[in-house]
Amino acid sequence: MRLLALFAVTLVASPGLAGPLPRVVGIPGKPAQDQCTACHQALDEPRLQQPALQAAQDIHHRQGITCAGCHGGDPTAEDPDVAMDPKKGFVGKIPPQKVPEVCGSCHSDAAFMLRYAPNIPTDQWAQYKTSRHGLALVKGDGRVATCASCHGAHGVLPAGDARSPVYPSRIVETCARCHGDVALMKQYGIAGTEIEEYKQSVHYQALTVKNDLSAPTCNDCHGSHGATPPGVSSVSNVCGTCHLTQREAFDLSPHKDAFAAMEQPACEACHSNHKVLQPQDQWIGVGEGQVCGNCHVAGDLGAQVAQALFQALAGTVERMERVHQRVEQLERRGMLMDEATVKLEEAHQALVLARNEVHTVNPQRVTAKTDEAQAVLAKAEKDAEAAEKELRFRHNGLKVSLVVILLAVVALGLKIREMEARS
Amino acid sequence: MKLIEKLWQALDERYELQPLVDFAKQKAVPRHRHDWMYYFGGLTLFFFLIQVATGILLLLYYRPTAEAAFESVQFIMTRVPFGWLIRSIHSWSANLMIASAFIHMFTVYFAGAYVKPRELTWWTGVALLLLALGFGFSGYLLPWNELAFFATRVGTDMVSKVPFIGHWLLRVLRGGEDVTGATLTRFFGIHVAVLPMISTFLILLHLAFIQRQGMHEPQEEPKLPPRPFFPNFVLREFMVWLVGLALLAALAAFFPWELGKKADPFAPAPAGIKPEWYFLFMFETLKLLPAKVLGIEGEILGLAAFSVGGLFWFLAPLWDRKRVRGEKSLFALVVGWGVVLYIAAFTALSYLGVFQ
Repeated sequence: MRLLALFAVTLVASPGLAGPLPRVVGIPGKPAQDQCTACHQALDEPRLQQPALQAAQDIHHRQGITCAGCHGGDPTAEDPDVAMDPKKGFVGKIPPQKVPEVCGSCHSDAAFMLRYAPNIPTDQWAQYKTSRHGLALVKGDGRVATCASCHGAHGVLPAGDARSPVYPSRIVETCARCHGDVALMKQYGIAGTEIEEYKQSVHYQALTVKNDLSAPTCNDCHGSHGATPPGVSSVSNVCGTCHLTQREAFDLSPHKDAFAAMEQPACEACHSNHKVLQPQDQWIGVGEGQVCGNCHVAGDLGAQVAQALFQALAGTVERMERVHQRVEQLERRGMLMDEATVKLEEAHQALVLARNEVHTVNPQRVTAKTDEAQAVLAKAEKDAEAAEKELRFRHNGLKVSLVVILLAVVALGLKIREMEARS
Repeated sequence: MKLIEKLWQALDERYELQPLVDFAKQKAVPRHRHDWMYYFGGLTLFFFLIQVATGILLLLYYRPTAEAAFESVQFIMTRVPFGWLIRSIHSWSANLMIASAFIHMFTVYFAGAYVKPRELTWWTGVALLLLALGFGFSGYLLPWNELAFFATRVGTDMVSKVPFIGHWLLRVLRGGEDVTGATLTRFFGIHVAVLPMISTFLILLHLAFIQRQGMHEPQEEPKLPPRPFFPNFVLREFMVWLVGLALLAALAAFFPWELGKKADPFAPAPAGIKPEWYFLFMFETLKLLPAKVLGIEGEILGLAAFSVGGLFWFLAPLWDRKRVRGEKSLFALVVGWGVVLYIAAFTALSYLGVFQ
């Protein structure tokens, strides 16, 4: 009873609820028992019936929180007039402007939330207030996303549940409900094509094809509750949280200061923001469709550096493919090419590092890595040569034995002829 | 020389070997325009002996599990001295043995050598050819490479079409629902123990029948004085074996048998999966058949037709009454050429990619 009294005090202290009664919040882990779901399940009107049907899978309901936890009223009363009496704190449907407040009344209370999970964050409401959504909501825009827009109002699932609309692989579709609506987004000065662009990106591919849940989706760059576009100066920080080595290389480049001076976003300038495609060596240059041409023109220092970077990479890639095919063919012909395969892998590693060094736009740093790759490739070529020599030796040996056998056949034939002529 | 003579005398004294030498000296082989065909049986035996010898050498290193089979063949081909040669010869000799056995069977058929009193020689011979096909099918999987894996999957799947017991047979053959390591172990056992045991017994029986009855002599051929078995026929046979060996060396030198890629049961089947050439005519025929023929599944009908056709071929000594009486049989001739042309045409067309 002391525990329940504590909950009641907690809820009374929470803003947005007029005066919740005891038994609004039950024992954690034990599904809530209330009269609200019992009556609403029997109603014909879907609008009123659905929330009660969804209660069974709702995380709050499963953790003992009754409908009255959000809507107020008396969850134990069988009489609807008593149960939904405003005097007992019944507020009915919660308007969008009030939703963050209602959710935040518990989710911002660290002491209360500790009962359900020891590491659950409690700063969502505070973050939301700083978000584009939260700022607009304060100004009275009821169309912006609130907690329920993303998590759902009834039948709320934990964020880690694969069926939840905020599960990593489903977030895109959840954001797309508003951000995919071009007409709606235009009213906010947003293109509305971001979702479609993101779906062409390597990030979306990794998330949906490879099922890599660590691949970034909308909230990984924009934030979840504090959702806002990263500013020009913070783009490289956002990308750099995962792409550490690329950021370090970029920080060494003259581009860092130049981009800052021009108020250009760093990574985005070459890789785009939402439509982040698989980078290609062919992008390096000032020709048509090449990213350096966004700022540089043919003949300037940037164009010359780009040319040097591209040549260093392209030469290595071309040689690596040639050696790879050669080694593969020898393997199919039964030669053991383990050592050459390891060398090819080493060369590939060096090429990856060389591509990373491209962010420094320093040809010396790039060629230092491509030279490493080329040196390993030269060793792999020697292995291939040795294997080919061995194959030639085998073939020649067999050809010689073939000649010997055929000579024996002829000699035997002559012997038989001579023997039969004699007899 | 004296030592050898003394040794001979000692052995002869104990085992009475002289009558055997006298018999060999008297033994003769018929001579006629088509006596070249007598060498193919011996050539098939030569390739079989090569298979036994190279097979035993491969056994020293081969490991019959899904995890180690491919690697062990790779080890044989790369690390074992002359392992590449032994493996290449084993693979090529297998194909040449089957080719030689087919030629031997058709020459015997067209010569009408299968009729009374040589029915049992024919039946053991056809059985040996079937065993050779079994050797080919079971041995093909053993390197556990991609092509072998999927070809075996397709090949064993045909068994499931047999009415009533098809699924049971499939499980027996595969050691489970799918081609796995269990199938590999099973095929290995069949390849190195079961088939060699039955084959050796049948070969001895086949040779004993020939020895007892002598070579068949076509009646229509003009008679020539017979050729002494020893040394004339033996030397000629030896020359044919040397030609076979030369062919093997040439094939191993110019078309070394490849190792391929390790089988990955979870990978999709690569395009253009085909069985070995000696199964192609059946494979392509079954593929050509419509899904349903008169309400019966096309493949079942095809397999039934092959079974009935094979049985008919096997029973040639019973239905070919004309040749028993020493007359020419137009029917047998038409059947023979029909079969030869059908097999040759389907195999050639398959290689030309006509069926794709």
